[in-house]
Amino acid sequence: MIVENTQTQMRKGILEYCILSIIAKGETYASDIIAELKKAQLLVVEGTLYPLLTRLKNNGLLTYNWVESTSGPPRKYYILSEEGKTVLAQLDKTWEELLFAVQTAIGDRK
Amino acid sequence: MNKTIIININGIVFHIEEDAYEILKNYMTEVKRHFSNSADSLEITTDIENRIAEMFSELLEKENRQVIVEQDVNQVIEQMGSVADFENAESDEAHAPIYNYNTEGRRLFRDPDDHLVAGVCAGIANYFNINPVWMRLAFALFIPVGGSGLLLYIILWIVIPKAVSRADRMAMKGEKQNLQGFKKNFEEEMSSMRQNLSNFGDEARPFVYKARDFAGDFFHHLGIFFNGAGKVLIKMFGVCLLLAAFGAAIFLVVVYVGTIGFGAEFGDHILPFRMANSELVDKILTTGFLVAFIPVITIILVTIKGIFNVGSIGKSTGTVLLVLWLCSLGMLIFFATKVASGFREQASFTETVNLKPTKNNTYYLKLNDIKYFSHEDSVKLDIKNHFKNMVVTDEDYNGFHNEPRSVTLYIERSDVSTPVLEESFRASGGNYEAALYNARNTTYIFAQLDTVLRFDYTLRKRPNTVWHAEEVVLTLKLPVNAKVIIDQKLDNYVQGVNLYDCHDLNHTDNKATYTIFNMTNNGLQCKVDTIVPVKRDSVRTDTVVKQ
Repeated sequence: MIVENTQTQMRKGILEYCILSIIAKGETYASDIIAELKKAQLLVVEGTLYPLLTRLKNNGLLTYNWVESTSGPPRKYYILSEEGKTVLAQLDKTWEELLFAVQTAIGDRK
Repeated sequence: MNKTIIININGIVFHIEEDAYEILKNYMTEVKRHFSNSADSLEITTDIENRIAEMFSELLEKENRQVIVEQDVNQVIEQMGSVADFENAESDEAHAPIYNYNTEGRRLFRDPDDHLVAGVCAGIANYFNINPVWMRLAFALFIPVGGSGLLLYIILWIVIPKAVSRADRMAMKGEKQNLQGFKKNFEEEMSSMRQNLSNFGDEARPFVYKARDFAGDFFHHLGIFFNGAGKVLIKMFGVCLLLAAFGAAIFLVVVYVGTIGFGAEFGDHILPFRMANSELVDKILTTGFLVAFIPVITIILVTIKGIFNVGSIGKSTGTVLLVLWLCSLGMLIFFATKVASGFREQASFTETVNLKPTKNNTYYLKLNDIKYFSHEDSVKLDIKNHFKNMVVTDEDYNGFHNEPRSVTLYIERSDVSTPVLEESFRASGGNYEAALYNARNTTYIFAQLDTVLRFDYTLRKRPNTVWHAEEVVLTLKLPVNAKVIIDQKLDNYVQGVNLYDCHDLNHTDNKATYTIFNMTNNGLQCKVDTIVPVKRDSVRTDTVVKQ
């Protein structure tokens, strides 16, 4: 249980960072994000992505454009806002630090 | 061959098989409920719906199909993830405080499946996992305490949401929610789906909407009550009615058979006095019996039919009963009119009896309660041998056993110095001659014995004659300053003065059986003796001397 909990916490911490990173590459559709995340084995089901996207959008990190789709309803294509870019830059820095910290901490063990 | 349903997901139309639809709908209900506590619930669920629509479109396009089947839905749900997956992902997010409600635990809902009124008690009982009976009992016990139980119930009714969806019901009973476990009747789900969507975001809904729902609920449950408990009440009422009707029927039969069986002697007493001869009494009794008995029988038959739905009252039976009843009613009216016609006219005549004035101007008024026997009766009772030197009195006579009271006595001031008794006889009859004849056919026995005036207790008429409202009004006219001593037994007969009130004024001891009045210019006045103690002393002395 504790193991699972820690795993979830770890994943969650980097999930938003990863999403922002993916969106930073350009206009992104939700299913593309899912595909990338699945490839990275961070997320299994799509349903969990939507609350995250909505929250990021409401926090002002993301905006979206409606794009007409040939199959189905119009799609929301997400892009980073200016604030989002700033936050992402901060997160990049944080990630570097974390990476260094973790590598230093486990370095001796491996 | 499968039934398909047309659904519309945010503007895109799909044909979906019924089974697939049920799974999808339950899934969406679940998802909506899951996100219902989030501020962005609408946006999130719309995103999910849009994505589902897109996935369906892609699937149909890829395989070139028209209809969405169960497999497609399962595939989409798998990709989107179940509510349990969402919960795992969010379980310890600090900023998502409410949406991780525990499906293992129970939620408080009103139970629509096991309810007497609105399911409040059953819901609370589900929450605490106890038998609803105890909750109901608790509420019932608090209803007499200033109606607090009732008030609390209504408040809870408004506050607690009703378990609408299957998921609600499972959450209510603490069952683990299983998306695949939903199998429900389609019509039922259609309505609950609609309600569910409108109930969406229940917690945040303003009170007004709740009140509106409550009103709707209230009438809905009122309807259910009248269908359920109301039916029971009506049945109970029917049984009571039936028992009462049976009682009445038995009573009527007993009275009728008893009366006819015991003959005219008893029949005479059905009417308070002999107004009609026994032949007519029997006829009235028979028709009256039918008039009362037929409706009672009808009530019994109709009640049995209405309440227990057994037995029947045919059209012909009904007609026969109705005709019989109308005939009886007609005859009863005819006989009643016949009896009443004997009272159409009234006649009276007055006789004046001169009384001898007494020496000391004192008159003792007494009641003659000696029973006078007819010749037949005296022979039957053998009065001569058995009651030699005895007087048979009629003390029990109260004027109602046989006839209404026929004697009234007024005491007035005489214009002349001699006392006079006026006897005014009255009677009714079919016409004036008959009435006068009836009045003439009575005698009143009055006797003066020195200072004692004896009044008979009743008007005498020939034996075995029918009552014709005969009465005698006596007016005793006494000279001024006469001392009138009236026996208490005359209380029922003397009009205009109250013997008992005066009796209390006259005497300090209540043993005296008479009352003393004085005749004044203004009529009869009670004698209030101011020197009573002196008188009593002298009386006492007298007694001592005598002893």
